[in-house]
Amino acid sequence: MLFLQLLLGGLQTGALYALTACGFALIFGATKVFHFAHGASFTLAGYLFLLLWNNGHPAWLGVLAAIAVATGFGVAMERFVYRPIQRHEGGFFTVFVAAFGVSLVVQNLVGMWAGRGFVVADSSLSRATEVLPEVFLAPVFWVSLAVAAVLFLALGIFLTRHPAGVALRALSQNSDLIRAYGLSSHRLSLLAFALGSALAAPAAVLTAITTGMNEAVGHHVMLISMAATIVGGVGSLKGAALAGLSLGVAESVVLNFADPQWAEAASFVVLFGFILFRPSGLFGHAVAR
Amino acid sequence: MRLSRRALLGSAIAAPTLARAQGGDPYVLGTLFPLSGPNAEYGKVFTEGVQLAMQHAEAERMLRRPLRLQAEDTQALPQQAVVGMTKLVNVDRANYVMVGFTAVSKAVAPIGDRSKTVMVNGGAVGPDLAGLSPYFWNTIPLAHLETREMLPFMMRRNLKRVALVYVDDPLGDAILGIFRNDLPRAGGELVGSFSIPRTAQQFGPVAARIRQTRPDTVYIASFGAQQGQIIKGLRDNGVSVPLTSYSAMNLESIRNLAEAEGLLFTSQQTDFASGDELTRRYATDFKARFGSDPGTYNTNYYNATRLFCLLAGKLERENKEVNGDTLRAALLEQKEFDLVGGRATFDEQGSMTAAIQINEVRGGRVNVVTG
Repeated sequence: MLFLQLLLGGLQTGALYALTACGFALIFGATKVFHFAHGASFTLAGYLFLLLWNNGHPAWLGVLAAIAVATGFGVAMERFVYRPIQRHEGGFFTVFVAAFGVSLVVQNLVGMWAGRGFVVADSSLSRATEVLPEVFLAPVFWVSLAVAAVLFLALGIFLTRHPAGVALRALSQNSDLIRAYGLSSHRLSLLAFALGSALAAPAAVLTAITTGMNEAVGHHVMLISMAATIVGGVGSLKGAALAGLSLGVAESVVLNFADPQWAEAASFVVLFGFILFRPSGLFGHAVAR
Repeated sequence: MRLSRRALLGSAIAAPTLARAQGGDPYVLGTLFPLSGPNAEYGKVFTEGVQLAMQHAEAERMLRRPLRLQAEDTQALPQQAVVGMTKLVNVDRANYVMVGFTAVSKAVAPIGDRSKTVMVNGGAVGPDLAGLSPYFWNTIPLAHLETREMLPFMMRRNLKRVALVYVDDPLGDAILGIFRNDLPRAGGELVGSFSIPRTAQQFGPVAARIRQTRPDTVYIASFGAQQGQIIKGLRDNGVSVPLTSYSAMNLESIRNLAEAEGLLFTSQQTDFASGDELTRRYATDFKARFGSDPGTYNTNYYNATRLFCLLAGKLERENKEVNGDTLRAALLEQKEFDLVGGRATFDEQGSMTAAIQINEVRGGRVNVVTG
């Protein structure tokens, strides 16, 4: 029963990791921008939800506001940070340092504004009850899985059926070809940032309800997103989502065999294994040199 | 032109000397606190105590020279702390450095020891912080003194089967050692010990493992935002037994956490309402300046700062230089000081002794259970 409990807990965590990882992978795959401030989108969304929730506003308003702030932040980063850097032909490292700097600024502003401590949305959704002997499940388990499933389905439909989604996929494969067809790569980049950042918001809201937030939570989110993108295969959304889910499950199930201190290490053992034996990731394509 | 240049040069050379003669060079009080990251709440709390003590010292004219606060952000990480301590010692020439967190304290102690800079801890409770260096002092009772009170209390409450969740750092290791040695002697049993990394945020799986050990209580030895996450993770995932811990739980974010209801933790004894005049003034002024009642950590760092003012004031009156050696000699000569909370006594290693009380979180407030 312990294994089943750990597996279920891992699925819940993994669903949230999958959402944030997929958002990061969408941005990185389409724009090739290493958006380190993706964790800051997560932090802002979570804190805005907490602010509204703790002031008695309805949950739907908090969720909408969280999505809006995450999307707005992502778009603003593309428009006012990354695009000027790229215009001046700034390299990968310049982009990374700028994103890292912005994420630090956001972290400190959130700390100054919301206080430097642990905050959580008090909700009955996170309280588990015994559904089987020795197996506890909270309603948020079903909510997490359902939200992840619906969003992945909607994203899949958008990317395969909608012209903008198809163009976004084309951008990730060949940006020159996009321009040859008269499409604006700038607009598509904005769309990638908007969609990718919006995906972090539901995960942030569910994290605010389950494990709570602190202003430094973004770094952890970024670490997981980066690991999932590599494990899943750079550029593959399906891979990033599956890898995020797997990392969450691995982090939890490892407790069946080892001490809790190995939980996070398990994720990185998986990452290291992929880097060594399958550098292209789960769904990535090996490139001949 | 030449004359004016000479005059200018001469006055530039003379200026620092004049300033010194007028008592212009400030004493530099360095702080190595986490001001960002998941433990930043402590940095704010620690700094408030220092700031109020400096305000009182200046109002009372305790020293001839002014005080200057030089804060370095450690994020509660040893690496950053070493960088900060090196700067405080070599660049800022700090006279006195206040630190917190066991791992941080152990990392910076050799630097302070070499430069003979007094370091004072008011937040970390690792038992091996006593005697770390002749220049390393504590204004907080260390963990072994807290568990010495908590273990008999747990036995009286029939909380004999104990599961320990401890952070994987020197503090957690020290508390594990104490529980392994002292819990069986007190009549209890350590039914499980669960080491967690400092960065861990998911505690549902740990709760599942803890439930299997069927404990009477879960003792939490962690700090910062992680403490709240552990409490919530355990409560949300079916761990309903009483939770116990140490003084690191004395934070506003824990008091406000619904899942922390009934949490029992130790802290040093301080009676702000019926104490001496110094304690009452401290409590009143703290509330006026920061808008809340003071907590243990505020008090410890207020006391650490006041201790410097008392020692440096004594040395000034005796026309002695204020440095690590003279401060230490003054501490060991006097040993007893009037600080917030009453008369404080320091031992040969520079550690303050204080009575311990057991507290319980009820309705967002901390109530004293015994003490």
